[in-house]
Amino acid sequence: MIKTENLVKVYRDGSVRAVDGLNLSISTGEIYALIGANGSGKSTIINMLTGALAPTSGSITVLDREIPRYRHEVATRIGVAPQEYSVYADLTLRENAWFFGRLYGMDRRRFEPRFREMVEVLRLVGKENVLVTNLSGGMKRRASILCALIHEPEIAFLDEATVGIDPVLRAFLWNYFRSLSKSGLTILLTSHVMDEAGRADRIGLVRAGRLVDEGEPDALMAKYNARSIEEVFLKLSEKEVGNGYA
Amino acid sequence: MPRRNEFSARRTGAVAGRVLTQIRRDRRTLAMMLVMPAMIMLIFGFALGGQVSNVPILVDNQDSGYTASIGTSSASLHLGDQVVQLLRGDSTVSVSTGTYGEGVSGVDSGIYSAAILIPSNFSQISFQKSKGENVTPSIEVYLDGTKPSLDSGVLGALQGSIQNTSGANQFSLVQNYAFGGAKFSGLDVSLPSVIAFVLTFLILLISLLTITRETTAGTLPRLYTTPLTALERLLGYTIALLLLAIVTVAVILLIGVGLFGVVVRGNLALLFGSGVFYALANVLLAVFLSNFAKNELQAVQLAPIIAFPSMALSGMLVPVAALPTWIQPFSRLIPMYYANQMFEGVMLKGYDIGTLSLSFVVVIIMELLFFILAMSTVKDKMS
Repeated sequence: MIKTENLVKVYRDGSVRAVDGLNLSISTGEIYALIGANGSGKSTIINMLTGALAPTSGSITVLDREIPRYRHEVATRIGVAPQEYSVYADLTLRENAWFFGRLYGMDRRRFEPRFREMVEVLRLVGKENVLVTNLSGGMKRRASILCALIHEPEIAFLDEATVGIDPVLRAFLWNYFRSLSKSGLTILLTSHVMDEAGRADRIGLVRAGRLVDEGEPDALMAKYNARSIEEVFLKLSEKEVGNGYA
Repeated sequence: MPRRNEFSARRTGAVAGRVLTQIRRDRRTLAMMLVMPAMIMLIFGFALGGQVSNVPILVDNQDSGYTASIGTSSASLHLGDQVVQLLRGDSTVSVSTGTYGEGVSGVDSGIYSAAILIPSNFSQISFQKSKGENVTPSIEVYLDGTKPSLDSGVLGALQGSIQNTSGANQFSLVQNYAFGGAKFSGLDVSLPSVIAFVLTFLILLISLLTITRETTAGTLPRLYTTPLTALERLLGYTIALLLLAIVTVAVILLIGVGLFGVVVRGNLALLFGSGVFYALANVLLAVFLSNFAKNELQAVQLAPIIAFPSMALSGMLVPVAALPTWIQPFSRLIPMYYANQMFEGVMLKGYDIGTLSLSFVVVIIMELLFFILAMSTVKDKMS
């Protein structure tokens, strides 16, 4: 479903290897969480996987298609909620969803029921015709998720998907993600909130653009003799740096 | 008791220092502040410093000459030839010869600014006048009438030549105007280029701001992940902005024609169409330029970079014929030059689309060029 080999991204000035030899393999219906500190390269990975950013070297395959070469083919089948809200502040929620829906080739007949469903799931009922600029931070985040999922994609890339969303709704969202994955949706999300990543099927720990370890949450906790994913992350960091990290 | 918050030079200095640091970081603003004034001063200085020169005119010299007998000696007078020779030596005008009829139709179609007819009895009448007879030599002039400074340049050159030929004799210039001449008010004559300028500046500015908003809103990276191609995106911008431009053109014409009642001798629909057509050129130019603007500030700076040189070089302030000769070729590179041709043509001269076809073709080529440039510089990925 998603596969990378020796993926490298060096930004133009050449000083930073934002992604440094990444090998990733995610299968259909999986919820995979990339976790790591700010600046560890999570967003760069997502941007390359979605075709928005050209890799420096290495290969990417998404839905059996080479990226970025066939990104426009794949584009209708993936949904992306970037780290920034990336919805139009001066459009209403409905107008945003309809715009993105049209980009993905939806017509009114397909759009309307899907939009109603998503508005209910994301607890945005009553906000359909509110300008996005007047929504709270958490609502904007949900608006962005709505626009990413509106066309029923096969893969959802959710960058810092649940930042700014309150714990109750976050729990609800995770249940929703779970139900979507059961029906075949693959979800790749990033987070720097370690505890919520524990709900994913598998976790990839990213540091300085490299995947330092990955596995099921329980297996990882057992491996590092940790009680939480956060502890796993801290222990890994200590091991890496030697004398402690951050 | 809290102390009153007194004026602090330190805080004031901090703000000034911070703003200067920000400007220093923003190379483009810095360049604008240094390069723009220099550029504008140079362009306007050269453009306005020129004198009317090489105005194309046609002279039909029918003067058959006159053999004057004074006492026993006789002299052959060919005053018409002398007038033509003096005109040829005058850098204000560029003289062609031909029949008066050719000249008149040349003025009508914009090839010549004036046609001059020297009658067959010019030498004879001039001689008789000098002998004190009650006759007045006359020369017929057919003038364009839409460019007062060119008309007066031609008339000045002609009067000078006649005076130098026949002394300070009285003579009459029979002036006819192709496109109304004295009937045009100052507003009539200047409005075509004012419309062209407003369209240049406004359409560029609005278009640049609209497109740049996508960049600053952070939605562009999101669009890169959708099936939307760069071509679709740029065409989408173009269509929306063109619809906006149609409204702008309509408002300008409603006020110009409706409120001020300026002359439109040609077809109003053609005028509207030309306006929209020229607006499209500016929309496409903006689509191209927006690839280089990172934010609204830079977008706002780009509009005057195009608009001011256009104002100076397109013939708006001074007719192109009055620009220094070495600058005139640059005028032909400026879209607004052709807008002036179109708007003046329709409004003052009553031209139809056939007469203006060259301007339309050039603008179409420019529009294609802008779109090709836009497509070759557009980004459809992050970098």
